[in-house]
Amino acid sequence: MALRQIRIMGDEKLEKTCRPVTEMTPRTKELIRDMLDTMYDANGVGLAAPQVGILKRIVVIDVGEGPIVLVNPVILETSGEQTGQEGCLSLPGQAGIVTRPNYVKVKACDENMQEFELEGEELLARAICHECDHLDGIMYVRYVEGELFDTSDEDYDEDETEE
Amino acid sequence: MTKPLNIREIALEILMEITEEQAYSHVVMRQVLEKYQYLEKRDRAFITRCVEGTLEHMIQMDYIIEQFSNVPVYNMKPLIRNLLRMSVYQMKYMDSVPDSAVCNEAVRLAQRRGFYNLKGFVNGVLRSTARRLGQVCYPDPKMEPLHYLSVKYSFPIWMLDKWVAQFGYETTEKICRDTHMEKQTVVRCNLSKASREEIIRELEEQGIRTEPHPYLDYALKISGYNYIKAISAFKKGWIQVQDISSMLVAEVAAPNWGDTCFDVCAAPGGKSLHVAEKLMGSGCVEARDVSEYKVKLMQENIDRIGAINIQAVLKDATVRDEASVQKADIVLADVPCSGLGVIGKKQDIKYKMSEKQQQDIIRLQRRILSAVQEYVKPGGVLIYSTCTIGADENQYNIKWFLDNFPFHLESIDPYICDELKGRTTGGGYIQLLPGLHQSDGFFIARLRREEESRAAFEEG
Repeated sequence: MALRQIRIMGDEKLEKTCRPVTEMTPRTKELIRDMLDTMYDANGVGLAAPQVGILKRIVVIDVGEGPIVLVNPVILETSGEQTGQEGCLSLPGQAGIVTRPNYVKVKACDENMQEFELEGEELLARAICHECDHLDGIMYVRYVEGELFDTSDEDYDEDETEE
Repeated sequence: MTKPLNIREIALEILMEITEEQAYSHVVMRQVLEKYQYLEKRDRAFITRCVEGTLEHMIQMDYIIEQFSNVPVYNMKPLIRNLLRMSVYQMKYMDSVPDSAVCNEAVRLAQRRGFYNLKGFVNGVLRSTARRLGQVCYPDPKMEPLHYLSVKYSFPIWMLDKWVAQFGYETTEKICRDTHMEKQTVVRCNLSKASREEIIRELEEQGIRTEPHPYLDYALKISGYNYIKAISAFKKGWIQVQDISSMLVAEVAAPNWGDTCFDVCAAPGGKSLHVAEKLMGSGCVEARDVSEYKVKLMQENIDRIGAINIQAVLKDATVRDEASVQKADIVLADVPCSGLGVIGKKQDIKYKMSEKQQQDIIRLQRRILSAVQEYVKPGGVLIYSTCTIGADENQYNIKWFLDNFPFHLESIDPYICDELKGRTTGGGYIQLLPGLHQSDGFFIARLRREEESRAAFEEG
């Protein structure tokens, strides 16, 4: 298992448009494995290659139903909408409210460059949109409704109420 | 993308901490709600209701689950058992959540937490519950009276058994029922800062409803506020949140001008402040506690109120303090206890306490009493109090105390209202019972040290 360093918002790699993957090489396979490891380690549900500094159109997702690898993903269709909290591994400790489609249909290649289609609803739809945006240099903060808020852990003192 | 917050998952995690890790519900709830302050009010309310309700009715939930599961609850994986409990609670008590949503969310949650193989089990139990919840057959009050109370009010049998023996069946049922009732907040008016009328006017101007408490004229029941610390009368130090039972301690202590008082288990300090107020700046009160952190909090509170005749002191009540011997006119021993009188406010107490733990607590109480009784001057007073109900930590401890130390019980009738006077108060103690009295469950005894011991001491 190799963990890669997650780039934090402000890093220029997060603002670039990524290049399509033209052939699957051992190095790219290793990148995909590392991205999954890094995502699981950070307790995330999705990660895009530019987040680890590689400008390739690759995203990995796991919303609790097993790993999904999307190489050169293209969103074919969306419908409905969902509004809810969203956060990004490249902006730790913060979250905001974002409205996304509730249904997404995507076309992509797997890690063997075999093309497939995937449909997702709710959390999976949200994750597909969020990660594909990264491939075009877009962070979710662009869509946040209202303010970003702090979600980081803090220590709390114990105190008692009078009995 | 980061893992999104799932309010059911948060609720489940809180339940796990309380039921499996022995954390205290009120502490965990406060920490979690502070951490998720940014959540919408509706989501915060859901978490609170779901956790507190599940705890409140946990034995009943387990009974229902076992009607539909061939695995007993105690044999289930902890996460699955708590997931089922909170799901059944939502079905039975939260009408706003459709049963199908409860099932789907639970199955998804089980899967997300790595229990792919138990998805079918969770789904099966919850679908059967949703279908046949109305037909569940509960224990019959005539055939199995204790089992009936246990499932209806979610109390452990051993506790009910003791209470029924001491208080009778009907009273026990009243106590149990009261723990499920909504509690009103009681505040003590700090009459040294403002008059009762001024305080009531101030509260009502902020839209807070007040109602006099029948037991004490400076106690008010208040309702219709969101956050106590935002009340102007609170900020000014005019009111202090304190249960009526705790106020009665200072009443029964009845300090005289210039008295020295040691409150040996003082945190969070309400009783000490109350006694200091009654001393009207004279004498001195030492609010002692074993926890450095709590002593610091008490001192901050004292400074906020600006009382001059009281200080917070770090001292362990179980350790005899030579310098304190025969120094106090009044010793308040509000000892650590099983807390069975405040189950209505802290629902998890009833599952965490066991007979064995209670025995440990009684040993601790007696150690404290043995050490602190020496601090009372001959002719001085020791007030023993607990926020629990039942003879073991109350009457039996007093009996033991009287057998071992030169004290006698003294009537508390001069210090309490007529409504509270009863069979035992003339004798020197009162057991307040929730559901029968308008207060938490509480015990107070007034013990006076014999004058003779001074004579013996001087001769020796």
